[in-house]
Amino acid sequence: MPIKNRFADTHADITAWRRHLHTIPELMFDLPQTSAFVADKLRSFGITDITTGVAETGIVAVIEGKTNTSGRTIGLRADMDALPISEATGLDYASTHPGKMHACGHDGHTAILLGAAQYLAETRNFDGRVALIFQPAEEGGGGGNVMVEEGLMDRWSIDEVYGLHNMPGHPVGAFAIRTGALLAAADEFDITVTGQGGHAAAPHEAIDTNLAAAHVVVALQSIASRNVDPIKQVVVSVCTLRSDTDSHNVLPQTVRLRGTVRTLDPGIRDLAQERLQAIVTHTCAAYQCTADIDYRRGYPITVNAEDNTGFAADAAEKVTPGVDRNTPPIMAGEDFSYMLNKRPGAYIMLGNGDGPTVHHPMYNFNDDAIPAGCSWFAEMVETRLPSAG
Amino acid sequence: MPVKNRFAELHDDITAWRRDLHEHPEILFETHRTSATVAEKLRAFGCDEVVEGIGRTGVVGVIKGNTTASGKVIGLRADMDALPIHEQTGVEYASKTPNAMHACGHDGHTAMLLGAAQYLAETRNFDGTVVVIFQPAEEGGGGGREMCKDGMMDRWGIQEVYGMHNWPGMPAGSFGIRPGPFFAATDLLEIEVEGLGGHAAKPNETIDTMVVTAQMITALQTIVSRNADPIGNIVVSITSIESSSKAFNVIPQRVNLLGTVRTLSNDLRDLAEKRVTEICEGIAATFGATAKVNYIRNYPVMVNHDEQTEFAADVARSVSGQCDEAPLVMGGEDFAFMLEERPGAYILVGNGDTAMVHHPLYNFNDDVIPVGCSWWAGIAEQRMPMG
Repeated sequence: MPIKNRFADTHADITAWRRHLHTIPELMFDLPQTSAFVADKLRSFGITDITTGVAETGIVAVIEGKTNTSGRTIGLRADMDALPISEATGLDYASTHPGKMHACGHDGHTAILLGAAQYLAETRNFDGRVALIFQPAEEGGGGGNVMVEEGLMDRWSIDEVYGLHNMPGHPVGAFAIRTGALLAAADEFDITVTGQGGHAAAPHEAIDTNLAAAHVVVALQSIASRNVDPIKQVVVSVCTLRSDTDSHNVLPQTVRLRGTVRTLDPGIRDLAQERLQAIVTHTCAAYQCTADIDYRRGYPITVNAEDNTGFAADAAEKVTPGVDRNTPPIMAGEDFSYMLNKRPGAYIMLGNGDGPTVHHPMYNFNDDAIPAGCSWFAEMVETRLPSAG
Repeated sequence: MPVKNRFAELHDDITAWRRDLHEHPEILFETHRTSATVAEKLRAFGCDEVVEGIGRTGVVGVIKGNTTASGKVIGLRADMDALPIHEQTGVEYASKTPNAMHACGHDGHTAMLLGAAQYLAETRNFDGTVVVIFQPAEEGGGGGREMCKDGMMDRWGIQEVYGMHNWPGMPAGSFGIRPGPFFAATDLLEIEVEGLGGHAAKPNETIDTMVVTAQMITALQTIVSRNADPIGNIVVSITSIESSSKAFNVIPQRVNLLGTVRTLSNDLRDLAEKRVTEICEGIAATFGATAKVNYIRNYPVMVNHDEQTEFAADVARSVSGQCDEAPLVMGGEDFAFMLEERPGAYILVGNGDTAMVHHPLYNFNDDVIPVGCSWWAGIAEQRMPMG
């Protein structure tokens, strides 16, 4: 190719859509304006098979190719939701919704998939069907999972799924991918340590929950440093510590700890959960406290299928030569993993250039990456569903 | 190829050499009988030059090809030393020396390289020079480093180096290799904690080194769990604690700790050294004690070079049909010093379903010999083909 010429023509339009979305960030499943904007655009491209309200505010739209002798359907997915962050970019198209911001570039992902949809609806140079998937609530709500549970894959007979995410620190428009685990499982835990509250001047009459909690935090370090194979990856982080008093002279009755466990391997995921539960239980027992542990499995590991990773990398290579096919895994989580658990496919990283990282109040999606992203989606369809004629 | 016919003929001889070496294991640099045996055989094969005493007890042999127009010189390396383990295999050729055992298969490595040397000296079907390198003290003594320090690479003009290790659990005769970092840097920790000894009934009059030590070990866990990139590979282990008294009623003045740090990148290695020092000194200071940290950089990360790795894998595939991507290994390997000086590659050859290396029931698998010898010969012949 490299970049499809059509996207040079539409680059300014797609940039305008992206910036409009940037001004109206919405959270989780509550995406009325975003979802309406996406549906309007899809209609304006002449797409008629549009289903709204999937997972509340998600959208699935179908574009038929010129022919469909293959009988195959490729799913292309973008996420639409923003984050509860107060934007500090000072851009003239900065968020108009206080306390909300497109700080992860989902505005860019959505605009790119809209741009690709416009091109695919105009050209239809493929033999089969494309299912465009616009999902809500990637940032913690599991919108991808809800769409899957509502029957996304079977209802639209999707055979393969592909998605992309921008990557700050990687050259603009350059691609990076890896086979197997690309992003981590993101599990959460809440621990309540209960002891015996009392006067801080008489610790011997109390059972000090703060001390037990401190030992729990220290002992949890041994999961990464002692239990997990050093060739494998794990992160165990305690992020919140909160005692039930804020005084200077009371030993608290309870302390709550909250944190996350990130893993790239199902066996390590099980091991980390087992060890966390044992360590917390026994450490608390050692200090005469009890522990209540709520361990919740969050997004699964994002696993790129081997063949599809090859297809995705080959398509990316045509768009921007020099694809990094062995980029290191990332310990962040991603709910496209639910779709990849149901269908073979691949998730690819698209360089966003230098600048603040995602989830930072100064972050911004780089509009220069739009033509490469659009071209990759289009190329995925045209190479996986080559025209019959 | 696959396996060269000549090694089928020599298989019994090489097996006999291997078992003789197995019966007479020698530790670290004390490989006197082994080195003499190796040198004698190399001379008998008609090597062009045989030099003993490189890196103390190392042996170097030179075999020139039928032509040397290419000017290429390839080093092939085997290790000769055994381990301070008491053998329990019960094989008839078991170690005759108490507490010494070829429990890592260096007997097999040495025998295979001798077999390859015999074949290469007989045939010389290559255009260049082969330097066979037999090193002592791979198991902790840094024999490879000593041979490099003696100027081996320059003295014989070695341009590339190759090495091989048997690997229990991999199918016998199959190969495994990977480019880039492969075996870990193996650094050593010596930490001395100095407090104020005293009566165990009056801890308030002491600076208790035991409490300092316990906090230190706990705090050292955070290098892996908090400081290192979770994508990287690192181990920090405290392996020995010794207090200056063994009484029930004395708080010791001093505690000595030993440990190891394993890393697969130089960045992590630098990070570990910095953090170990900061943590030990900081924790000691917290309790009014002092810590002296001796961070000893031992074997470096063993890094396979891309081009030579690909070549070594091609040769392995032609020999056995199977060469997989090997896993990263947190163990260390002293061949790392040679790979720091010259491009080259290190390969694993499967030892089949045997006890793990360094186990008293381990034994090298003689069935692997023709495959290993053929790989060595293939490296020489295919890297320096006749015109």
